[in-house]
Amino acid sequence: MTSRFRLVVVVGSLTLAGCGDSFHAGPIGYTENAQLGIDLKDKPKLQAAVTRAMANLYGPTPQQIKVPAGSGLPDGGVHLTNLIQQGEGDRTEVRPIALPRVDEASGQYMASKSTGKLLGEPQEGGYALYRKHCLHCHGVDGAGNGPTASFLFPRPRDYRKGLFKFTSTPTGAKPTREDLRKTLKYGLHGTSMPAFEALMSNRQTEQVIDYLLFLSMRGETELGLIAEAGVADEETADEAISDTVAVEIAQSVFAKWKAADSQVVTPETPRPPSTPESIARGRELFLGLNKTGNKVECAGCHGAQGRGNGPSFIDEATFTQVVFRGDPSGMPTRVEALTDKQKELWKASVDEWGDPLRPANLTRGVYKGGRRPLDLYWRLAKGINGAKMPAHLGLIKPDQIWDLVNFVLALPYDPTLLKGATLPGTPAAVPAAAPAHAASPTTSPAPAEDPRVAVRR
Amino acid sequence: MRYWPLLFAAAAVFAVGSFVYSPFDPDWWLPAGPEGGLTSVSSIGRRIDSLYILILVITGVVFIGTQIALVWATWRFADAPGRVAQYFHGSQRLEVIWTIVPAAILVFIALYQMGTWADIKFRSSAPKIQPLAEITGRQFQWVMRYPGPDGVLNTGDDLQLVNDLHFVKGKQSLIYLKASDVIHSFFLPALRIKQDAVPGLTIPVWFDADTQGKYELVCAELCGWGHYKMRGNVTVHGSQSDFDEWMGRALNEQNRDTVAAVGPQGR
Repeated sequence: MTSRFRLVVVVGSLTLAGCGDSFHAGPIGYTENAQLGIDLKDKPKLQAAVTRAMANLYGPTPQQIKVPAGSGLPDGGVHLTNLIQQGEGDRTEVRPIALPRVDEASGQYMASKSTGKLLGEPQEGGYALYRKHCLHCHGVDGAGNGPTASFLFPRPRDYRKGLFKFTSTPTGAKPTREDLRKTLKYGLHGTSMPAFEALMSNRQTEQVIDYLLFLSMRGETELGLIAEAGVADEETADEAISDTVAVEIAQSVFAKWKAADSQVVTPETPRPPSTPESIARGRELFLGLNKTGNKVECAGCHGAQGRGNGPSFIDEATFTQVVFRGDPSGMPTRVEALTDKQKELWKASVDEWGDPLRPANLTRGVYKGGRRPLDLYWRLAKGINGAKMPAHLGLIKPDQIWDLVNFVLALPYDPTLLKGATLPGTPAAVPAAAPAHAASPTTSPAPAEDPRVAVRR
Repeated sequence: MRYWPLLFAAAAVFAVGSFVYSPFDPDWWLPAGPEGGLTSVSSIGRRIDSLYILILVITGVVFIGTQIALVWATWRFADAPGRVAQYFHGSQRLEVIWTIVPAAILVFIALYQMGTWADIKFRSSAPKIQPLAEITGRQFQWVMRYPGPDGVLNTGDDLQLVNDLHFVKGKQSLIYLKASDVIHSFFLPALRIKQDAVPGLTIPVWFDADTQGKYELVCAELCGWGHYKMRGNVTVHGSQSDFDEWMGRALNEQNRDTVAAVGPQGR
């Protein structure tokens, strides 16, 4: 073997090294919820029982998906994958799943022009599509911890709590399939969730929704099992977390999902036209100036100018310093460096998932959950799940919610609406000279008019 | 056996052959409209294509000429027993000729394309028409604002969509291109329109199409990990009334205030 030939071999294998899956660490697998190790510390038998029950219910790995009966997923969850195993024992066979080909424009099945037979096409399956489009942000388990997640603000959704922010259903209820479809197709404006309408066919979109429902149900069942194991005895782990118990917990999760479609919140009164009077009533509600009925006050969080910088939240300069000035993993350290008063505010400025959040800047006209008046009505009437936006239906009447919707939609185009407005109980705004140390992040918030504290996104 | 000239000749024949074949295969040729064909569906596209073909012909002729010279020289003067090498100290005349000829060709191309470039890129050439939309690239989508019924952009009645461009066939459309985070590139392959969207700038882009149907909008700037997700649907409507009808439907959807089983964005 001449030295020249040896060189060729080495170079050749180096250039081929990037091909194929040889650089992957191995097949993709689920990770247990961190809560398992925390709640069941020093209880190895219970931990093992939970893991076993999860594998029996949902399959041990993403490559071997099981769907419990009664999940409510279309066609028993067959759209999650592209291969299916059927039969028992020796008669087991694994077959690819094919679907009749559909013309996207007309919705009709397509037939071969020569033979007249229906054309088929292999199904990609929700898992494959999820791996391609979603996994890098939302993670293998749907825990919102994919490789690109740390670079994003707000962080991607962790599905495992079964909690979704932008829904048409009451507070705490599951989203409808249409809610998820809307998010997937048109994205969440103002966040990193892209719009997939131009990237995926309708059929593919439905497959991805199936898989995300699967991950969400799986995650919530796991949390339920951990809670169940938390009150069980280590010695009787197998009885406490039996298959029967696991199925019961899973069924209770499924039931909540199935109930969503019948829970859609319908506005009780039609929307009044967006007249100056309606907008003015909305403005009074926003600033907490209305003297009748229950008092709501949006400005406490959203700020007297609607810029998302109200006193109930940590000031923007500090928020920017903690969230964006440095490595995301160093955030707890930066929180520790705050004063006690700021730490209290910080606690109130995180969502259910422990991620920092800001009230919307309503002057920008960017609405994460959709810009239709109906979307805004839902946001105001029933709040945002898992975030700090409370539900207002019951506190104020549907008419008043519509007034607020009209006001919010008018605000970005009419800066005079909140010009010079102040929060109730505070003296009229005096143009304060910014103190020399205002730039330091741990001092009191700079005046809202100061452009230097605008969060850049 | 004279291997080298044969190898060079084979490579040249293959290269020329693949260019000759390419117009017969839509996958090899330039992107076409929904009905296929060899020419672009937009007036700007056809001008770009004619420049492209001109340059292809010039370079093709030069390529074929140089390859013939190369093969002939290696064949004619191949090493043979008893042949003595001849030393040659260069020729000033030859050097001057083969410097001036390519330079002249380059100058010709540079001057010849100027008019086209000015007509499709210079701000002063932008058609004096109402803008169709303002399109902002952000990581990772095209945010599109169409002026609403009042015909003015950035007012409360604007239609705001994502990744969904609509215009009418057979007439110029003007958009204002912006970027809100990094550089993106607005690319309509079938119309040969490509324009970087630069943060802080508002860049007019204008185009037309003479065939109705569905087209593709992509981002042609590697703008981040989600770059491939910036695909957009482009719909060219057959008539203004067709466009207006779509616009009405989309606006109705955007103004929806009752629950109904209709998808968002008016479809």
